[in-house]
Amino acid sequence: MLYSEMIKKKVTILNSSGLHARPSAALVKLAGQFKSDFYIHMYGYRVNGKSILGVMTLAAEQGAELVFEVNGSDEKEALNAILELVENKFGMEDE
Amino acid sequence: MSNPKPGEKVIKGLTGSEGIAIGPVLVVDEKRKRIQPRKIKADAIYVHLQRFAKAKAAFLKELDELTLNLDKKTAEILETQKHIISDREIEKKINSVIEVELYDVEYAIYGTFNEFIERLRESGSELFQQRIVDLENLRDRLILLACDNDRELEIEKGTILVLQDISPTDLVTYHEKGIKGLVMDKGGVTSHAAIIAQSLNIPCIVSTKVGVRHASNSRKAVLDASSGELILNPSRAVLTEFKKKIRDLNKAQKAFIKAGERSETKDGFPFHLRANIEFQQELILANEFKAEGIGLLRTEALLFGGMSKRSEIEQDKYYDSILSGMSGPVTIRLFDVGGDKLHSQTPDENNPFLGWRGVRMLLDEKAMLISQFRSILRCAGKYPGRIRILVPMVALVEEVVQVRKVMEEVQKALMDAGIPIDESVPLGIMVEVPSVALLADKFAKEVDFFSIGTNDLTQYALAVDRGNERICSLYQQHHPSVWQLIKATVKAANENAVPVSVCGELAGNKLGALCLLGMGVNDLSISPASIPKVKEVLTSRSMLELRDFSEKVLDCSTTEQVHEVYGSWD
Repeated sequence: MLYSEMIKKKVTILNSSGLHARPSAALVKLAGQFKSDFYIHMYGYRVNGKSILGVMTLAAEQGAELVFEVNGSDEKEALNAILELVENKFGMEDE
Repeated sequence: MSNPKPGEKVIKGLTGSEGIAIGPVLVVDEKRKRIQPRKIKADAIYVHLQRFAKAKAAFLKELDELTLNLDKKTAEILETQKHIISDREIEKKINSVIEVELYDVEYAIYGTFNEFIERLRESGSELFQQRIVDLENLRDRLILLACDNDRELEIEKGTILVLQDISPTDLVTYHEKGIKGLVMDKGGVTSHAAIIAQSLNIPCIVSTKVGVRHASNSRKAVLDASSGELILNPSRAVLTEFKKKIRDLNKAQKAFIKAGERSETKDGFPFHLRANIEFQQELILANEFKAEGIGLLRTEALLFGGMSKRSEIEQDKYYDSILSGMSGPVTIRLFDVGGDKLHSQTPDENNPFLGWRGVRMLLDEKAMLISQFRSILRCAGKYPGRIRILVPMVALVEEVVQVRKVMEEVQKALMDAGIPIDESVPLGIMVEVPSVALLADKFAKEVDFFSIGTNDLTQYALAVDRGNERICSLYQQHHPSVWQLIKATVKAANENAVPVSVCGELAGNKLGALCLLGMGVNDLSISPASIPKVKEVLTSRSMLELRDFSEKVLDCSTTEQVHEVYGSWD
C-alpha cells in the first residue's frame, strides 16, 4: 500500500487478570485472522500483537494503558474486532 | 572398613536401602548438563533447524493428545501453550540464532525464551511472575525434545550411580537399565528416592554430600549400603570379603522364600504383611516375598511423570497393571501432592506440609478428583472386591463427607452409562493428622477403614519437618506421643468395627512391627524389601509377649525409654 494510513487507538485493559496468558492467546488469535499488521505500544515498548509471547511479556495488568497500531487493507475491521474483544474483557471474566 | 588400603577411598553416608553391590561407578554431575552456548559449523545449520521443527511438531502433538482427556478450563491452558510454541516471532528468532549467529538448537531455544523471560522478570508485575515458571517449563520441554536423546545417560548393567539427587521416575528408568546401587549426595533416609530404592531392592546410601565431587568413574567399587559406605578402588581382599557377603545374603533370602509360608505368631494369631509400592516394577519383589496384596499404592507418579501421563487412559492402564500383576487386595491412595507438583504456576507456600495438599487440593481440583475416581472405579468394576480407596491428608470430618459425595456421583454416572462398577468399594482415610486420631470415634462413623500413616503422623505430632537437617533428630517415630495417637485410633476402630492398618516406616522396623501387633494392629503395609525381616521377627514371638511389650511401651514418656524397654525385652 503506497499511501498506507495507519490507525492508532488508545485502550485501557479492563479485566482483572490483565493481559494474562489466556487473554493474550485470545487477542493474538483474533489479530491473526486479519491481514493488517498489528502492534501494541506500552511504556515505550512496541511489540508485535500477533505474537503471544510479545503480548504476554508486556505484563499489562488491569488498568494498563496501551496504544494499538493497526496498519493494512482491513485495518478498520481488525481494530473494531479487537476493541470489542477488549471491551468484553476477553470473554473470561467471572469464571 | 577400619583400615583403608592405599588407593582405597571411602565415601560415607546414611543407609537409604540396605544391601551390598559391586560394580562400575558412574558419576552424574547435573551441573555439566546446563545449557552452554555452543557454536556450530555452517553445514550443520540445516540439521539444527530440522531439530527445532521436529521438536515443535512433537510438542504440539503431545499437547493435542492431552487436550482430548481434559476438562475445558485445563484444555484452554494447554491451548495457550500451543499458541506460545507456535508463535511466529519465536520461530523466526530461534531460526535466526541458528542460521545467522551459528549456535546449536539447544542454545537457540534457551536464549530466545530467556529474552522474553527476562523481560517479564523486569516488569516486576507480581501477577506475571507466575508465567515465568510456565515459560521455563515450555523452554525445557522443547530443549529436551530437540536434543534428540543424545544427552540421555548410557548405563552399563550393574552400575553404581553417584549423583546429587534423583526423581522417582528416573530411578525406575535406571532400574530398568540395570543399575545395582545408588549413592545420593542429598536426601535423607526417608526421602522418596530411598523408599523407592528399598522397594526395588537397590542398595542405596544418601546424604553423602561429597560423592559427586570426590568419586570418579571407575571399573569397580563396593557399595556397602548397610553400613553406609561406598568403597572406591577396593583392594582384592575387600572385594573377596564382600563377594562372600553377597552370596550369604542371597542364600538367606532364598531360605526365607522357601520357609516363610505362614503369617502367624508363635501362638497362632494371624497377621498380614502387604506392600507399599508406587511403580509396577516394584511388584516383582512384592510377589517374591509373598506380600498379601498392596496395602498402599501411591499414585503420584502419574503426576510426576510429566503431564502426558495424566490422561485417564494412562491411569486406567496403570491401575490395571497393578491389579493384574498381583493377587489380593489393593489399597489405592488418591493423589497426595502439594500444589507445587500440580501446577507450576502455584505460588510457593511458606509451610507446604501445612498447606494446600492431599484432600485439600483434591477438593479444589474437582476435575482431577473425578477423573481419578472414574478410572479407579472402572478398574474396581473389573476386579470386584479387590480395590479399596484411600483419602490422604484428611483433617476434618467434612472432608470425608465431601469426598464420598463426589465418589457416589461418579459411581452413579458410571452406572447410568452402563459401565460395571464395584458398588461396595470401601472408602477409607489416612490417619496422619493428629486431629483424626483424636476424633477417631467420629471419623469411624464416616469411613470404611483407617490406614495410619506413621511418617506424617510423627511429623505433625512432633511439629518437625523431617527434611530439615537442623531438627531432624526430633523426628522420632517411636516417640510415646505417636504411640498414644495410634492407640486412640485403634481403640475407636475396634469399637466401631472399622478395620485399621498401618502403612509407614514404623511398621517396617522390628520394634515398630512388634509393638503394633501387640496393640492389635495385625495388618501392616511396608516396603517389599522389609517383608522378610518383619515376618521373621513377628513369627518368632507369641501374642502374649507382644501385648506385654506394647503395654510397657505405652507407659514410656521418652523415646529413649522406649528403646530401653525394647533393649531389655528383646
